[in-house]
Amino acid sequence: MQTFDNASSGAIVLSMAERIVENRAYLSEIDGRIGDGDHGVNMAKGFGMAAERLKGKDASLAQSLDTLGTVLMTEIGGSMGPLYGVMFTEFAETIQGVETIDAAAFSKMLHAGLSGIRSIGSAKVGDKTLLDTFVPAVEAFDAATAAGKSFGEALEALVAAAEAGRDSTIGLVAKIGRASRLGERSLGVLDAGATSCAIILKELSDGAHARLG
Amino acid sequence: MALKTSAPRKGGISRVNGPEGIDSIPLRYGDDPYVWACWLYYEDGMTQGEIAEAMGVSRATVNSYLADAREKGIVNISIEPARLASLTIAQELKRHFGLSDCLVVPNDDDTRPLIGRLGAAGAQALAKMIKSGDTLAVAWGRTILSVGEHLEMASLQDVTVVQATGGTTASFAYTPELTTAAVARAISARCVNITAPAIVASAQMHDMLLTEPLIREQFDTLARANRVVFGIASLRPNSTIHTSGFFESVPLQHYLAKGAAGVLAGRFIDERGRPVAGPLDDRTIGISLEMLRGIGTRVAVAGGFDKVPALLAALRGGYVNVLVTDAATGAGILRADGVTSLDGKLSQRQKSTPVANAYRTHVKKFLNNPNDVVEEMLDGLIAAHKPYLQPIGNSRRALVARNGPRPGKVGLVIGGGTGHEPCFVGYVGKGLADAVAIGNIFSSPPPDPIAKCAVAASGGAGVLFVYGNYAGDVMNFEMAAEIAEEKGIPIRTVLTTDDIVSSPVEDKEGRRGVAGNFFVFKVAGAACDRGMTLDECEAVTRKANDRTYTVGVALESCSMPQTRRHNFEIGPDDMELGMGIHGEPGVSRERIRTADEIVDTIMDNIFKEMKAEPGDRVAVLVNSFGATPQMELYILFRRVEQRLAAKNIAIEANWVGHYCTSLDMVGASISILHLDRQLTELLHHPCQTAVLTINTPETP
Repeated sequence: MQTFDNASSGAIVLSMAERIVENRAYLSEIDGRIGDGDHGVNMAKGFGMAAERLKGKDASLAQSLDTLGTVLMTEIGGSMGPLYGVMFTEFAETIQGVETIDAAAFSKMLHAGLSGIRSIGSAKVGDKTLLDTFVPAVEAFDAATAAGKSFGEALEALVAAAEAGRDSTIGLVAKIGRASRLGERSLGVLDAGATSCAIILKELSDGAHARLG
Repeated sequence: MALKTSAPRKGGISRVNGPEGIDSIPLRYGDDPYVWACWLYYEDGMTQGEIAEAMGVSRATVNSYLADAREKGIVNISIEPARLASLTIAQELKRHFGLSDCLVVPNDDDTRPLIGRLGAAGAQALAKMIKSGDTLAVAWGRTILSVGEHLEMASLQDVTVVQATGGTTASFAYTPELTTAAVARAISARCVNITAPAIVASAQMHDMLLTEPLIREQFDTLARANRVVFGIASLRPNSTIHTSGFFESVPLQHYLAKGAAGVLAGRFIDERGRPVAGPLDDRTIGISLEMLRGIGTRVAVAGGFDKVPALLAALRGGYVNVLVTDAATGAGILRADGVTSLDGKLSQRQKSTPVANAYRTHVKKFLNNPNDVVEEMLDGLIAAHKPYLQPIGNSRRALVARNGPRPGKVGLVIGGGTGHEPCFVGYVGKGLADAVAIGNIFSSPPPDPIAKCAVAASGGAGVLFVYGNYAGDVMNFEMAAEIAEEKGIPIRTVLTTDDIVSSPVEDKEGRRGVAGNFFVFKVAGAACDRGMTLDECEAVTRKANDRTYTVGVALESCSMPQTRRHNFEIGPDDMELGMGIHGEPGVSRERIRTADEIVDTIMDNIFKEMKAEPGDRVAVLVNSFGATPQMELYILFRRVEQRLAAKNIAIEANWVGHYCTSLDMVGASISILHLDRQLTELLHHPCQTAVLTINTPETP
C-alpha cells in the first residue's frame, strides 16, 4: 500500500506558499474582475508569513499545516483568512500523530477540512466559490480509492477534478460574497477562491505523490 | 487597419519635413501609422504631443500606436544581456528569500575590483533608504568601508551613524571606527563610536564596561538604530577574518568545529542561520544577533564566491532584508538553496523584454513602500488622533477611545477593512464608538484584534458589535464574539445593510453596509453613552439601520496602492450605479447623466422604500468615495434638498463630505436616515471624535 511520511513532508507547505506567492498578481487580477482585487495580495501575505516562520524549521506536514492555518486564521482577516485558516487547521489536526499517511488518512484529512469550511461559511457547490473546486476534488479522490485505484492514481484524479471544478466557475453566477451583488455580470469569469483552492490542492497532491513509497 | 489621416489639424508647426505633406502618411512609412509614430518617437526623439501634432491625431491615439507597436513587435526593446541577468537574479533573490529589496551588480565589468563595485552599489542602495532622522548602525569590514567611500548624500538632517561593535586593533584600514566614520562623513551625520574594544579579556570585563555610563549611552544609541548596514564574512581558509586581527585564532577554530558558516557584526552563525555558541560570546561588545534582527532595514553588502555559504546562512536566518551582491554570488546562493528555475529564466529572457511604458499606466500616489501603506497610515493616524484614541496594549490594529468605555455602559465596537478613511477609526471617541478593529485594505480584521476591542470596550454591561454585512467581516466578528463570550462578555451584533440597490427589498438582510454606517454608528454610540441596556441599544441600532437608505454612484473605480491601476475601467461616458465601497463593480452600468438626473435616480430609489409622510424629518449624508471634490458634493446636496422639500420632508441635520470612502474612487453616495423622535434625540447626543463632534443638543 502506498503511503507517505508525515515527519519529512513539511516542505509541501513551503512549496504551496511559493506557488501562491508566485500567483499573487494573477489571483488579484481575476479577483479584480468581480471582486475587490485583493485576493492575491492577502493570500500571498498569509502564505508568505507562514513560510517565513517555517523556513529552516524542518517541521512535519502536520506542524506545517498547523502553522499555516494559524497564521491565516489569526492574522489575515478577510473571508479567505478564516476559511482557509479553518481548512488547514482541520487538516493539521486530522493527521497530527499519524506517522505514515495512506489514502484513507488523506481522505479523512480532506473531509475534515471541508466540514471546517462548511461550519463557518454558508456556500454550496454551484455558488461560485472555492467549494466548486474542493468538493469535486474530494469526491474524485474517494471514488478513485473506492474503485481500487492506488493512492497515487487517486491523487491524480483529485488534481484533475480540482482543475475541472475551478474551470466550472467560469459558467457560474456568484451567489455569495461581494461578487454576488453582480448577479449575471459575474458570469464568464473564474472565481479567485476556486482558483487559489486548485493551486493549493494541486501542490498538496503533487507533493504527496512525489513522496509516495 | 483603417487610417485616420483626414482629421483636421489645429495649426502648430510640424517637425516632419519633406514634400509628402503633413496630413497624409509620408510614403516611406508605407500605409502604417504605427511605423510612422514609432519612427518619430524612437528615432527622431519627438514627444508624444509633437507626434500628435505631426500626425494630426490626438495624443491618446499616439499613445496607443506606441503601445500597440510593442505588442505587434514593430518595436523591440531589449536590455543588455549582462544587466538583464543581474536583474533576473535580483528578482529571484528577492522572491525566494522574501527580501524587501535586492541589488545585484553585473559581473561584466572586471576592470574594477569587486569590493569597489559592491561599495558603489551598497552606497546606491543606502542613498535610497536613509531618511532624515534615521539612526544607522554600521558594522566593520572592507566592503562596508568601500560603501562609505562611495556614499554621498548632502540633504539629510538629524541622521546618526552608530558603530555596531566595539573597536579593534588599527593594523588594518577597515576598523569599526574608520568604517563608521567614513559612512557618517559621507552623509554629514552625527557619528557615535563605541569606545570599548570589540573583544575583551573576560566576561566580567564585558559586564563592567557595559555598566559604564558612557558606553551605556553609546549602546542606547545603537538600540535606537532603525537601519543597519553590514558585511558578511565567511570562515573559509582564505577569508580576511583570519588575518584581520578581530578574532583570536584559537576561539575561531572552536566556532568552525561547531559548524559556524559565517560571521556578521562579530557574531557567528551556522548554515541555517542559527547562532553558534562559543567562548567569545560573553566577551564580545557589540550588537547581538537578536538586536540586529529587530532592526527594520537590514542591508547586507557582500560578494565573492567564497561567501556563498555565509550569505546563504545569513539569508536563511532572516538577518538580511536588503541584499547587495554580485551576479555570480547571487546565482550561487540561489543554486545552493535549490532554486533550479534560474537557468531557464536566464536563457529564455534573453529575447526582448518590455520595459516600463513611456506613457501613463499608473495612478500617482503618495507612497513609500506600497506594502507598508496600512502600517504607515496607522502611524500617522494614531499620532494625529491622539486626543480621541489610543492603541490597546501594543496592538495597533485595535484602538480604544480615551474616556470612552466606563463601568455600567454598553461598549460599542466597530471595525472593518482600511481604505474607507475616515471610516471606521474617525468615529471612535466619547459618545460614539468605544473601540475599532482595523483590517488590511478592504479586508476584515482577524478575530484577535476584534476580541481585544470587545475586552477593552466592556464596562460589564455587554458589548455591541456594529459592522457592515460582508462575508469576511461576519466570519471574523463572529469568531471574535465567541472568544469574548468565553471571557464572560455578552455580545450582540447589528449588521449594517443600508445599500438598498445591493439586493431587492425581499432580501433586505442580504444587503451590504456602506456609508449609511455613519448614522447607525452615531445612534448606537449615543444609545450606549446614555446608559441604555444591551437589549435597548441593540434594538435602537437595528431600527436606525432599518431606516437608513443609501445609494452610491461611481464614475471611476479606485486603484489599490499595490497595483496603482484602476481595479477595472468604467467607460468614458459611463457610470456604475449601486457601487459598493471596495472598488468592486456596481450593480448596473449606465450612461452618465447630469448631476440632477443622477440624484433623481438615487432619490427615486430611496423614496420607493422609505415610506415618508409630509412633515417627516430626515438626516442626510452626501458622501464622497474619495476623489470627488466637495464642490460636486454640494451640487448633489442641492438637488437632494430640492427633492425632499418638494415632498415637504424636513432636513433635521446634514453632513456633506468624506465620511466613508473607497480609496481614490470617483463617485458619491447619498444616505438618508428616516428619523423618529428617539432617533432624533440620539442623533443630537453629544460626541467627540476625530471626524464628528457634537457639543450642543440643538445643532449638529
